[in-house]
Amino acid sequence: MIAEQEGQAGAFDAGEVIIGHVSNSSIDHPIIHLPTLLGINFSVTKHVLMLWMVAAFLFIVITWSTQKYLKQERPIPTGFMNALEAVVQFIRDSIVLPSVGRKFLNVWTPLVLTFFFFILTANAVGLVPIFEVLGLFNHFVLHAEHDSMIGLLLHGGTTVTSNFNVTAALATITFVSIIAAGTQAHGFIGHWKNLAPPGLAWPVYIILIPIEIMGMLVKPFALTMRLAANMTGGHIAILSILSFVFIFSDLFHSALAGVGVGVVVAVPLAVAISALEIIVVMVQAYVFTLLTAVFIGMAINVHH
Amino acid sequence: MMSDRRSNFRARSLHLLQENIRKSGPAAAAGYTLIGAILLLGAIGYLIDQWRGSSPWFLLGGLLLGIVVGFYELAKTVWK
Repeated sequence: MIAEQEGQAGAFDAGEVIIGHVSNSSIDHPIIHLPTLLGINFSVTKHVLMLWMVAAFLFIVITWSTQKYLKQERPIPTGFMNALEAVVQFIRDSIVLPSVGRKFLNVWTPLVLTFFFFILTANAVGLVPIFEVLGLFNHFVLHAEHDSMIGLLLHGGTTVTSNFNVTAALATITFVSIIAAGTQAHGFIGHWKNLAPPGLAWPVYIILIPIEIMGMLVKPFALTMRLAANMTGGHIAILSILSFVFIFSDLFHSALAGVGVGVVVAVPLAVAISALEIIVVMVQAYVFTLLTAVFIGMAINVHH
Repeated sequence: MMSDRRSNFRARSLHLLQENIRKSGPAAAAGYTLIGAILLLGAIGYLIDQWRGSSPWFLLGGLLLGIVVGFYELAKTVWK
């Protein structure tokens, strides 16, 4: 795909290629056209499509394996179910239980689990070069039109969690859950009273209450930025290192220079960073769920 | 016997790692809140500066407020 774009544009522009690979596909050329309602264009871009695919994949795989397990005569998990159960148990016992506590454990574990599996799958799908392989196949075999379904699918990034809108939506769910958890544990008025420590002189509250409200809004913002920036950053690093090949062949006007740099530096380094990305994918899913559990726990177990 | 001891060691290391990660939860939350507050309030200040043409005062004020909010959240975690 990089080579294809280079051929069209003449000189190689690394910045444009990299942005094209990590950002969403253009809303002007959506994959599925949908009408505009209330001023919002509901047309499906590539990130929205990937979002649906990840959600559908998770729904089918996890529901199917759990249903199959529940229908067994002897309740002994095997294969995929065994791994799933280990992960579920790990998240319940070492993420949710220490922060949320035993009383509300079963209320908040499903939400945290959903977050974990969704983010993990969405991150991991971004590492699989599905559309790059499709682009290569298209270039040599299919020769699809630019405006056809396949042609439209080739533009834009695959990692939905690298889109700030997606992570902001996830963090909004966390934000609402924090308020819901506090309300459930202490009542609606009790939760808002818990924001500031009691028993201080009234002038202190004039300073403290705005700070607390800002702190409340900052937490989901930190979650949003952290996940999206981490997922975008890794992809940009890999793509910039791979761009060396084309930059050097442009610079020396010889393909040999590019291939040489590719073999010696760019490809080994990109492989190493991809390996690191596999760890990042898991760590980021883990950190998001951990922070969600900690924030929910802070609303439930208030210490002053 | 040897492999038994090795798997025991591995299980213990994993257990300790899990324990450490578990304890690091509140610290990670405080750290991310600190940097998030500075970024968010600094960005809001910057946008107000762009809008009102009052550079750099709202940016500086936002950054300062971000530091205050961030350290307040950090202090709440530390002095619990």
